Amino acid sequence: MRLAAARPAFYRPETVDEACALLAADEGAIPYGGGTAIEVQRNQRTLSASAFVDLSLLPGLDQLSTGEGGLRVGAMVPIRRMETDPLVARVAPLAAAAYGKVANPRVRNAASVGGNIAYGAYRLDPPAALVVLGAVVEATSASGVRRIAVADFFPEGRRTALRPAELVTAIEIPAMPPGAAVSYVKLCSLGAHDWPCASAAACLVRNGAGEGRLRLSVGALGAVPRLAEINVAVCHEEEAVQSAVGAAEALIEPVADVRGGVAYKRALGLVAVEDAVRRVYQEARSDQE
Amino acid sequence: MTRNDLDDIADSDRTAYSDGTADSDGTADSGSIAGYGATEGGAVGQRWPRVAAEAKVRGTFRYTADEPAGRCCFVGVHRSDRPHARILAVRTEAASQVPGVAAVVTGADLHAAFGDRLLSGPAFADQPALAVDRVRYAGEPVAAVLAWDLATARSAAAGIEVSYADLPAVHDVDAAVAGPPYVHETLRPSAVFRDLAHLSGRSGTNVNYEYNLRCGDVAAATAAAATTVSGEFWSPPTHHVPIELPCATAWPQDGRLELLSTTQTPSYVRQAIAQLLGLGLNQVQVRTRPLGGSFGSKMYDRLEPLVAALAWLLQRPVRMEATREEAFYLTTRHGVAVTGHMSADAGGRICAAAADVRYDTGAYADIGPRIAAKSGTVACGPYRMDNAWVRSRCVYTNKPSAGPFRGFGVPQLTWAHESLVDELALATGQDPVAFRRRNLLREGDVSAMGTKMHSADFVGCLDAVAAAVGWDRPLPRTAAPWQCGRGVGVAVKAVLTPTISNAVLQLNQDATATLLISTVEMGQGSDTIMAQIAAEVLCMQPDQVRVVAADTDVTPYDTITAASRSTYHTGNAVRLAAQRMRDRLLEMASARLGVPAVDCKLTSDAVLSGSTQRSVSLPDLIHGHFGALGTTLTTESNFTTDWVPYDGTTGRSPQITEFWFAGAVAAELAVHTRTGRVRISHLAVAADVGRAINPALVEQQLVGAAIMGVGQSLFDQLLFDEGRLLNGTMLDYQLPSVRDVPQRITPIIIENPHRSGPFGAKGVGETAIIPVAAAIGNAVRNAVGVRCRTLPLTPERLLAAMQADGPAA
Repeated sequence: MRLAAARPAFYRPETVDEACALLAADEGAIPYGGGTAIEVQRNQRTLSASAFVDLSLLPGLDQLSTGEGGLRVGAMVPIRRMETDPLVARVAPLAAAAYGKVANPRVRNAASVGGNIAYGAYRLDPPAALVVLGAVVEATSASGVRRIAVADFFPEGRRTALRPAELVTAIEIPAMPPGAAVSYVKLCSLGAHDWPCASAAACLVRNGAGEGRLRLSVGALGAVPRLAEINVAVCHEEEAVQSAVGAAEALIEPVADVRGGVAYKRALGLVAVEDAVRRVYQEARSDQE
Repeated sequence: MTRNDLDDIADSDRTAYSDGTADSDGTADSGSIAGYGATEGGAVGQRWPRVAAEAKVRGTFRYTADEPAGRCCFVGVHRSDRPHARILAVRTEAASQVPGVAAVVTGADLHAAFGDRLLSGPAFADQPALAVDRVRYAGEPVAAVLAWDLATARSAAAGIEVSYADLPAVHDVDAAVAGPPYVHETLRPSAVFRDLAHLSGRSGTNVNYEYNLRCGDVAAATAAAATTVSGEFWSPPTHHVPIELPCATAWPQDGRLELLSTTQTPSYVRQAIAQLLGLGLNQVQVRTRPLGGSFGSKMYDRLEPLVAALAWLLQRPVRMEATREEAFYLTTRHGVAVTGHMSADAGGRICAAAADVRYDTGAYADIGPRIAAKSGTVACGPYRMDNAWVRSRCVYTNKPSAGPFRGFGVPQLTWAHESLVDELALATGQDPVAFRRRNLLREGDVSAMGTKMHSADFVGCLDAVAAAVGWDRPLPRTAAPWQCGRGVGVAVKAVLTPTISNAVLQLNQDATATLLISTVEMGQGSDTIMAQIAAEVLCMQPDQVRVVAADTDVTPYDTITAASRSTYHTGNAVRLAAQRMRDRLLEMASARLGVPAVDCKLTSDAVLSGSTQRSVSLPDLIHGHFGALGTTLTTESNFTTDWVPYDGTTGRSPQITEFWFAGAVAAELAVHTRTGRVRISHLAVAADVGRAINPALVEQQLVGAAIMGVGQSLFDQLLFDEGRLLNGTMLDYQLPSVRDVPQRITPIIIENPHRSGPFGAKGVGETAIIPVAAAIGNAVRNAVGVRCRTLPLTPERLLAAMQADGPAA
């Protein structure tokens, strides 16, 4: 009976296949990454799992590498490494910025890149940046490997696009285009280490002749991180801010909670978008100088 | 020994400094402290290292929950999900059948065993360890599962099913004043404390206590005043969030009950448990370990009645550890509504003030009546005024019970009077610091509540914090959208009076000392301070005096470790015991050396004869006395304070407090005008501590209180929806993070020795937190021109206020 549920089993597989088999064999089994979210939920008794499948021994999942125009980040790479590794700062500085805003250093040291995105809460920091970057989640199960764009990873009404017994094994992050300027802005309403109350990620790519393409997303302001793309004039910051704010209006569908009401979150979201756009313009200007 | 004994013993010491006499400017004469600075003991005034600091920092210190309990039952509690309901049935069968479960106990089971003795509380006997017939808040314990491991106990408790018939609930404090519905049908005073002896039984109301202050004629003075400001203020319920969670273990044995518990009030708990179980006081033993923080959360009836009742009923060892989420339901800080006004005459003098105060005490009164009375006496602030009106009511609602919290209800009232006095200064065109300075109470003044001021240098504290933040200098430049501002707040608070402290001092034959007191070390530093006081008298070194953790079988009665009372009260008892020890040693040395006692002088390791220059070491002296190694010489003392009860008509008293707390805070901050976020660049906190026994620990108290005050100002609030707690987790109830604390905090010690404090000392634990919110609110007003009257000053609230008022001038 439910009340008699024994303590969940804790498996430590040594291959991805073994991990997938364990997940497939028990629908109540949950992959265990850094444990930062799982342990909080266990303390609060809000998680029911029959078993945990620890991923820390799986070969290759802690690898961070470049190739084919971007980064391949193993699911068990610590978030702290995304923040501090020079490779990430060079190839995908927007990812470094967003991962560097997660919680606090203790959490970033323990939490994993795969666990973070698989947790699937709408108010995580990284997804807003990953959407702008066009990142892809690699999901592995006993029946094979799927590649899911981060933009499609958070379907409406579900936590994530992961199927039962499917495991995040990596995230692929395309390299930032040459000459692009990026920024990630996080605004909190509670402590400075909190999830964002509103966030925005922006990437400005010049395509010559004073024209640019601005990729923009907002985080924590709706069920899923959403992306907007607009054409902007590289030398007209005010115009770009106005277009971006206009485009962002349509992306913002906040849910009221202890972090703020709908009106406040909307206002904060627009501030985040404006700040993000101004920062990419500032960076673009300083690159030119 | 009574208070009068103090006068005999301490007379020679008291002549060492004069009473702080006020000069024409009202500044207390602190020159007299010089005589103390050179005390022979060399301990008082020194920055002795905190006892056990390294073990606490390294994580090797053993707290209560680290003590092995042996084979025992762990408790899992099933809590009500209804704010107010009649219990129709508690279905425990499924939980009972879970492997590993030893027993399931309901409130009805406990009531059958203990009758109305099950109801306890420091003011009214109103709270059952498990709900009987009726639940009064969502989160109230309804049934307990005892299992051989904690996880089983908790998961089985979750499987208990309770059917309820909902009753109309009351969530808002003002709706509760109007009532019905009533949270309790009738009330029975518990008569534990002398200052609450006047409580009376009540029925047909949610107001369990009302304190009234009547001084002068407020209506006439307000009508005649040149300027009047008014406002409606709200401080929400909050939680203490100590790092250490509550834990209690009870062992029944040989007709006795032994209890190890995280409590600030071992003497109270012994009394309460003896009464609950019908045992003699010597049949109940309450032991404590130093606490990992408490701030008022581990006082009076917390886990102990339940653990004791279960252990006694089942005659088995029982242990309960609260989870972080459960701790939010154990006790809270009162939400407080204040409707106030304050008036000044044409000369810029405060002539009248009024405060109508409603304390939301939740479903059980706990110590709320004392909070309503004690804080009500100072609801108009530390100002000279001839006309004052206060009505302070303690009101039941269907929420978790509110109890003591650092500041004891005064911060919520200070939020009101320090906002009003700021508005009054602005309305009369005066600088807020200068306006306060002109009106603050001085040494020797009799305040509106009737008690004279002594060793309470409000002006000195205010001047110090204003100077620290550069009040007279231009504001620092900030780039848009940040706008900068400064604000101040001043605090006054009375100490719990009357109270009782005792100390037993054992001088060991090897010249170390063991101090037996029931003060509980909880981070405030009492184990260090008390050792310093004894060492000062006995000329001892750090580590030579060890304080024993409170154990009611061993350490003598002490009213409570709270109210910032320990340094003064227990400190005085310790000083007296040490003085008796010194006198005893001098007598023994006199006989040994063949010289008169007055010729003998205690030094750091011996007693020396002035005339012969012969000396005898303490180990030799004591060994010579008893003729054995390892012996102990014992002295003891009592220190008890007195009061004059509130006048039945006016609420005034010439002696409501043994001493006054005086403090001030100045804040310099910037407000982000587009997000409402507040960034504090500098917080200066000052307290008149009488005399700093250990300046390092005083500064740590000031800084700790300042940071906690920042939380109460900007972050802390328990959010409820129809009586259900919405944010009872550390993810949703957030404290200031390290990146939210002020960029700079300046602690300032002000010393105006108290005439009867140990070496002039008073308490300091609460002083600094009291005016923090007001100083921050006033700085926000200064920065962006909006007056926010509801705490906390969340970004959302500030942005809405700024938008409602339009852009600041």
